[in-house]
Amino acid sequence: MPPSRYLRVASVVAASAVILAATACSSSSSGGGGGTLQVWVRGAGDAQKAYQKLLDSFTAKTGIKTKLFMTLTDFETKVNAAASAHKLPDVVVDDAAQTGAFQSEGIIREVDRSSITGDNQIADATWNVAKSVSGKYYAVPFSVQANLLFVRQDWLQQLHLQPPKAWDDLAAVAKAFTTKDPNHNGKADTYGIDVPGSTSRGYISWYWSTFLWQAGGDYFAPAGPGKYTSTINSPAAVDAATYFEKFFCSDKTVQPSAVNDVTADANKVFQSGTAGLYLTGPYAYATADATPVKGHYEVVAPPAGPKNAQTLAEATNIFLMAGSKHDDQAKQLAEYMITPAAQQIGMTGVATSTIVRLPVNTTINSATAHNGDPRWALAQKLYASQGHFEPDFLPNWQAFRQATSDALNKLVSTCGDPKSTLDGLNGTFQNLLEQQGVSG
Amino acid sequence: MATLVAAPEAAAPAPVRRTRRRRRHWRQGFVPWLFLAPALAFFGVFKFWPTVWGIWLSVFRVRPYLGNQWVGFANYRHAFKDTLLHTAVWHTVLDAFVTVAVSAFVGFFLALLLEGPSRTLRLVRTAVFLPVVTAMVAVAELWGVLLFPARYGAVNSLIGHLGLGPEPFLNSPHSALWSVMLIQIWKSAPYDMVIFVAGLAGIDRQLYEACSIDGANAWHRLRYVTLPALRPITTIVITLGIIRGLRVFTEIYVLTNGGPAGATETVTTFGYKQATTGNDTGYATAISTMLLAATVVLTALVLWWRRRREDA
Repeated sequence: MPPSRYLRVASVVAASAVILAATACSSSSSGGGGGTLQVWVRGAGDAQKAYQKLLDSFTAKTGIKTKLFMTLTDFETKVNAAASAHKLPDVVVDDAAQTGAFQSEGIIREVDRSSITGDNQIADATWNVAKSVSGKYYAVPFSVQANLLFVRQDWLQQLHLQPPKAWDDLAAVAKAFTTKDPNHNGKADTYGIDVPGSTSRGYISWYWSTFLWQAGGDYFAPAGPGKYTSTINSPAAVDAATYFEKFFCSDKTVQPSAVNDVTADANKVFQSGTAGLYLTGPYAYATADATPVKGHYEVVAPPAGPKNAQTLAEATNIFLMAGSKHDDQAKQLAEYMITPAAQQIGMTGVATSTIVRLPVNTTINSATAHNGDPRWALAQKLYASQGHFEPDFLPNWQAFRQATSDALNKLVSTCGDPKSTLDGLNGTFQNLLEQQGVSG
Repeated sequence: MATLVAAPEAAAPAPVRRTRRRRRHWRQGFVPWLFLAPALAFFGVFKFWPTVWGIWLSVFRVRPYLGNQWVGFANYRHAFKDTLLHTAVWHTVLDAFVTVAVSAFVGFFLALLLEGPSRTLRLVRTAVFLPVVTAMVAVAELWGVLLFPARYGAVNSLIGHLGLGPEPFLNSPHSALWSVMLIQIWKSAPYDMVIFVAGLAGIDRQLYEACSIDGANAWHRLRYVTLPALRPITTIVITLGIIRGLRVFTEIYVLTNGGPAGATETVTTFGYKQATTGNDTGYATAISTMLLAATVVLTALVLWWRRRREDA
């Protein structure tokens, strides 16, 4: 290579390095460090305003500055990227379903429950969502909820029906909504059950869990301290899968796009009057009330199954991240977020986004916060009496949820045999339990 | 003074000229690289470095915070045994083969129909080309609405007039992959058309005239003039199509996320799930590395085949 060419190549490398350095400088500001508490939250839309309001009130009270980063898409991937750069934020607010995964990755700090101011204002059952498989606490719960059944009240009246109270009623009402033209437009364009049946993020498994609990089944049974065995092919689980499959295959009472729908699609299906029965969380009140379906639906307890009337409970946790230089301030934020004042802001600070669905703090009441709205009273009552969490304490619950979703999606879209589907899933579960070191 | 200054200049004219020439030469060589530097830096950061880093990660069990664990070729061995990945590979190959072939076929006929300098043709060509410049996410969302599987869905209403349907399209394991292919062909056929139009414009008109004088009909002209002249262009279309086909992701992620029943799972959607919900970045990068290798090998094969044909 002649010297001039060396020079040329060197100059290109130099120019590229300058641009690279500029890029690196601009990206380094997103990591932790500095005097500001970095707070990352999984969410989007108006939730940003609500969290900002909450953080502003924290800053006003304590003088600790915060910087909020929010995203819904691939949130955990971004947390992982920050982890590999060892620039984790100080605090992360995410689904409780991530607790086990975050803990096994070593990116969250153990929480000494007794040292958290206000810990006794959170019920023990709620604290359970912050536990890892070892029984230690790795988060502080921020918000909880339980699924309810949204029913088109006007359709029920039109067809002289009552809200469903048991599994048989649910199937019957779904059938009537599908075949008896409840919107009286002369077209067969209505359906009974609204199901987000996609495998994305494990939605179909998440939805089916309520039926699994109600049939008396569960994903696992304890087998010694920190050890579990799969019970996913128990007779009760097979009953739940058989009942669920009927909606898709013999009754055909789900919306036609169900097997590919995520929750955002399923929300639209209910809000547009395509389907009349939707099992979802109380956060859907705000979004549904902003559409023409407002005033045309009522909310009832999910119809009871053969064994009980339990319903899927979920939580949002506050995680204190590893490597933070602001341990104390991060803890102060977590303590603030569970105070009655902060929980109140989370419930009603921004009307269109209830970032606190049901308060974790037992000294306040969601119905009172929402001007006595009986729907919130019902949600609170259901959470306390019938709420059942997924086993998100496992080292990677998401892997089980994904496997369940893949199996259920295949079952309902091919109308296969529930027993053999769950037998196959049982094998996958045993492998995953072993891989995660918790097989009993 | 003047003589003193003038003397050395007169004494050494040749090296000065050489230096100037070298400087000019250096500047001429440097300037294009300077202009290229931003793009190179961009590709370096967002394409080349992630690719190299991804290949490196494929031999580790990736633990972002606790430190990666060396596993050798375990991720690759896992890939060869993973039946779900095998199904995804089959879907990807089928998808790439069908969409490349049909897009090239449709693109070629669109090019034959729409080639020419007239303004009307240019307008029609622009209209036909629009799907290419529209974002795939938007295209996929729109097709999702059009293919709604009930009788009142847009496409089902149309085929209903012919006494057909309603078809489940994306919602049945039997038709989902074909429906996704339809969307891909709709989007990529106009792209192929533009390349073919450029190829057609480059064919010497005299060849057609000579053919006509020899009594060739339209089919003969197509068979013996147009098609042979378009051989290099066809190679480009097929090469680009294979690369596009093997890394199909957006439309599937948006419309079906690999479902229903895994019927539209491809290598990229499968790899993406391993990295995100599966939390196994090492395995995901091993899958991506193998996909990269397959793409490079296939592209090289097509180019080799083309050279061999041209040499023959």
